[in-house]
Amino acid sequence: MRRNVLRWWPLLAFMVLLAYPWILREPYYHFLGFNMLLYATMATSWNIMGGYTGYKSLGHSAFFGLGAYLVAIAANQLGWNPLLSAPLLAIVVMLVAMALGWIMLRTSGSAFVIATIAMLLIFRLLALNLRDITKGAPGLSQPLPPWPPEFSRMPFFYYMLVWLIVALVISAYVRRSRFGLGLLAIRDDEGKAEMVGVNTTLYKVLAFGLSAYFVAVGGGIWSYFQTHISPVFAFDILVGVDMILMTMLGGLGTLWGPVLGAFILIPASDLILFTFKSQIHLAILGALMLLVILFLPRGILPTLQDWLERRRAPRAAFVGARAMADVLAEQAHAADGVQPVPDERVVAEEAKR
Amino acid sequence: MGVRCEACVNLPSANVLIQVAIVGLLTGGVYALMAGGLSLIFGVLRVINIAHGAFLVFGAYLAYWLFRLYGLDPILSILITIPLFFLVGAVVQRTMLSRVRSEPGLFVLVTFALAITLEGIMGALWQSTGRSVRTAYTGEVIKLAVLDFNLRLPVVRIVGFGAAIAVLGFFHTLLLRSNLGRAIRATIQNSTAAQLVGVNVSRVQAVAFGLGLAAVAAGGSIFSLIWTFNAASHEEWISKMLSVIVLGGMGSLPGAFIAALIMGVVESVAAVTMTTYLSPIVFYLVLFLVLIFRPQGLMGTRIREG
Repeated sequence: MRRNVLRWWPLLAFMVLLAYPWILREPYYHFLGFNMLLYATMATSWNIMGGYTGYKSLGHSAFFGLGAYLVAIAANQLGWNPLLSAPLLAIVVMLVAMALGWIMLRTSGSAFVIATIAMLLIFRLLALNLRDITKGAPGLSQPLPPWPPEFSRMPFFYYMLVWLIVALVISAYVRRSRFGLGLLAIRDDEGKAEMVGVNTTLYKVLAFGLSAYFVAVGGGIWSYFQTHISPVFAFDILVGVDMILMTMLGGLGTLWGPVLGAFILIPASDLILFTFKSQIHLAILGALMLLVILFLPRGILPTLQDWLERRRAPRAAFVGARAMADVLAEQAHAADGVQPVPDERVVAEEAKR
Repeated sequence: MGVRCEACVNLPSANVLIQVAIVGLLTGGVYALMAGGLSLIFGVLRVINIAHGAFLVFGAYLAYWLFRLYGLDPILSILITIPLFFLVGAVVQRTMLSRVRSEPGLFVLVTFALAITLEGIMGALWQSTGRSVRTAYTGEVIKLAVLDFNLRLPVVRIVGFGAAIAVLGFFHTLLLRSNLGRAIRATIQNSTAAQLVGVNVSRVQAVAFGLGLAAVAAGGSIFSLIWTFNAASHEEWISKMLSVIVLGGMGSLPGAFIAALIMGVVESVAAVTMTTYLSPIVFYLVLFLVLIFRPQGLMGTRIREG
């Protein structure tokens, strides 16, 4: 019985989300709902790089802003429909991210984090200064959506829901694929991953591009949702920080963690913003991030899972042994596709020749 | 005056260039003090302290309020802020950094979280008004005629440079002559080996973080004399300091000093030859390119990893 519930809960959650705009009909809740879905999508996307691969980018707002600006410019100059152009132009952003990633991924650890911050700052400065294209600090406006204002946010909500599902499906697929296995291997030990035949550079660049894609789609849709964008908000480092915080809160490297984190943090953050001034809000955001990293570094889902398993442990000793055998078999099966690990002695001998 | 265009580089006269270069050198001295602490922290703890900029602005606020409330000259307030920040640094290291699971990237996130926490606190306490200390000698200029050049050097920059060099000299002596300094340098070179010969590495780490913040506290006092700041300024300044230490070679103190002078001059020259708004890009580009293509900087260890 419990098993069935566990299996079907994503569908249940999906139904709840479908009904959400009709249950909570105030425009504010539509706004909140859109933000939750937007950030859940972006955090899911960030997680592919930051969680699966272990490279934590602080500059993902660059792709958010890039997506937002491309969509706004295409709408103004070429008359492209933002909802259709967002996923298309995000491909351009993905290619930019892959090119930049190819350069930046020569670094790792802290150096990578700082390189991504520098990248974001360069983009923001360009957005502020290339006035012919971006109109500088005041920013860009674009036409309002054609549907009546009382519905204005509902289509955005459902559209964003579609993209969250796409992002989750891709994320789940990546996680189970050989590609994802390679990413996890890179996270655990990049040197060894390379030795067993993972093309680490290619994998990292692909993961970086993929993790930029949905962030750029989100930026594009957000740009239409806002109708007015400016460099300070489009290239705000805090957008990227939110993605990280949500992912780490929910569970770094898990499928549902980023979504859970976004669904907790967006309403909480709004509540704090209403109650206090925006500066206190920033301090609380920072303090929360500190607390999560220091005391809940693995996030809610993995911690919860551990706790449940420990409670169930005695009863499940026998089941556990069987499950372990299953896992081992599965791993052996998964390893079929991967090249065999060369024996160290053989490698050394070959090097001598 | 020829064609005007914003993006074009316009060449100023030789007199202006020389003057700007000298002011840049003076500024570079202050950068050396601000960034030196960051480099020391990285050298000992292998942590890039993103909160360094926030602590800089915090130090500047302290100097500002000591001046506003008690009329204390920012240069003198260094004597108060240095011990205070030393303690804060040691406590932060012991309570936060030493608890973080050692994983590359996670340390940076901790210090980043610390930075935005501080920004929020400062913003809530002191609003977003730009502040700067105006002493009796603010705005004074020393005129110098050397060869054919007429140079006008702002007094605050000279005072700031002098104070920065004095504090740097103090730290330099501390690192070279004292046993503590020897322990710190040994830890920078090889922390495992240092531990083996009896250095209490975890204590050295706390002390080094404290010293790093003490240096930035002194930098903050001088900073309040020269620049205008508010809570959000730290973002701009941490990128400047990062590009200095990355250029100099992370963990290398002489490298940081030379790089600070270079960046001071480059920045001043960029400010008169490019659009003012675009000139910070020099720092971001140096940071980005050096990290990727020459991670060891001018004189330091490679930091692509770690």
